[in-house]
Amino acid sequence: MFAARCIGVSLAVFVLLYVFLSAAVSQGWKLTRRIIRPQSARSAADLLFALRILPLALSSVVTFAFTLPSFLLLEPRSTNEAIGIAPLALGLCCLILLAAGIVRAAIAQRKASRALVEWLDGSILMESQIRESGNAVPIFRTGNDAPTLTVAGLCAPKVLVSEAAVATLNPPELRTALRHEIAHALRYDNLKKLVFRFSVFPAMADLEHAWSEETEMAADDAAVSNFHDALDLAAALIKVSRLGPVESSSELTMALLHSSTALSARVHRLVTWNSAQKPQTQNRWLYALPAAAAMVVGVVMTYGSALTQMHAVTEWLVR
Amino acid sequence: MKRILNLLRRSPNIQLGPLEQQLLSTLWMRGSSTVREILDAGDIKLAYTTVMTTLDRLYKKQLLKRAPDGRAFRYSPRYTQEELEKAAIGETIRQLLGSSAAASLPLSYLVEAVSEHDAHLLDDLQRLLDRKRAELRGKEKH
Repeated sequence: MFAARCIGVSLAVFVLLYVFLSAAVSQGWKLTRRIIRPQSARSAADLLFALRILPLALSSVVTFAFTLPSFLLLEPRSTNEAIGIAPLALGLCCLILLAAGIVRAAIAQRKASRALVEWLDGSILMESQIRESGNAVPIFRTGNDAPTLTVAGLCAPKVLVSEAAVATLNPPELRTALRHEIAHALRYDNLKKLVFRFSVFPAMADLEHAWSEETEMAADDAAVSNFHDALDLAAALIKVSRLGPVESSSELTMALLHSSTALSARVHRLVTWNSAQKPQTQNRWLYALPAAAAMVVGVVMTYGSALTQMHAVTEWLVR
Repeated sequence: MKRILNLLRRSPNIQLGPLEQQLLSTLWMRGSSTVREILDAGDIKLAYTTVMTTLDRLYKKQLLKRAPDGRAFRYSPRYTQEELEKAAIGETIRQLLGSSAAASLPLSYLVEAVSEHDAHLLDDLQRLLDRKRAELRGKEKH
């Protein structure tokens, strides 16, 4: 009974915190972006990703670092208390939430893996392009059944280029387009998308869409180092759009309207590119290290009293 | 008609104001119209420039097509009512499930698929790019 209560209370705290934080993020992410005003597309993408995973990360940290230890250390094992209706119901909700996340992520991953296996069938490793890129990200030349230019794979992403793309793009256009895809691979954007699938909460689509747009622009920035590159990438975007599968209007979705708007915005951004908009390579996050260190010290120093307070909260929940 | 307009209104990426909804409905009924024709029909009693600006906004939201007609533009709906209804329902379901199309599969594309309606958008972008390339060549010659 002690173990069941421990699990029930931990899951209940997790789900309460997760729902509260997710609701706050889904309503407040635009305001947060306006207040912080990221300097570059990359910073904006990082901020939006951090906001998107904040509910999952913070709820997990609180559950494993505070709720669970407080219950194990401060709850008397001898008592034969029942789990209680509230922790039981909330615990079940939490299990449903986690199961939904696992199923969604597993389905997405399985679909993507199957597609990758299909696309890689008969593909050729483009060694010269890999050498030229200076990165370890493998680049494969695929048949025309695969998407024109894409990154697939989670922990070991691969760049896939179709025959049609190689034939259509001139060498500078292909080079910048590959750099764009390599930027996605180096930032593990596919893995981030899988985390989104796992972290279930309604009304996050807007935030995910904004993240997706900023990620594309961040990859554009990473691929471009001068105005020539910017025009080459813009040309590649237009050519690849023409090569891509044209959806018939009967299969039209809002996503297509969004993608047209996003494509237009990206091309306009590239043709007005200037060196000032190239993000600085210095690690600005290093400035946050002292604050993070101070926070860790603060938590360690007040950990005992925090556990006591957390135990009081869980006691209230059980009653 | 009301149902689709309500759905569209709830869709955060293509939000429509009351006049935009009214003009879209009018164009679905009429097929295509110029600003003058809409005003002459008498259902909308607003200034010419107000209607013109609103139609332009709908065009920029990619809900209308337009073609020159004399000194004005002739506007027509880019999508049928049924197509937009499907799109709006899809978007609403995606919103409820809490995931955007962009994040539906862990894959990154250089560009997402484009619709058959975007061909002229690509032509516009190509013209813009050619102009910029010509400007750059001109600067480099000087």
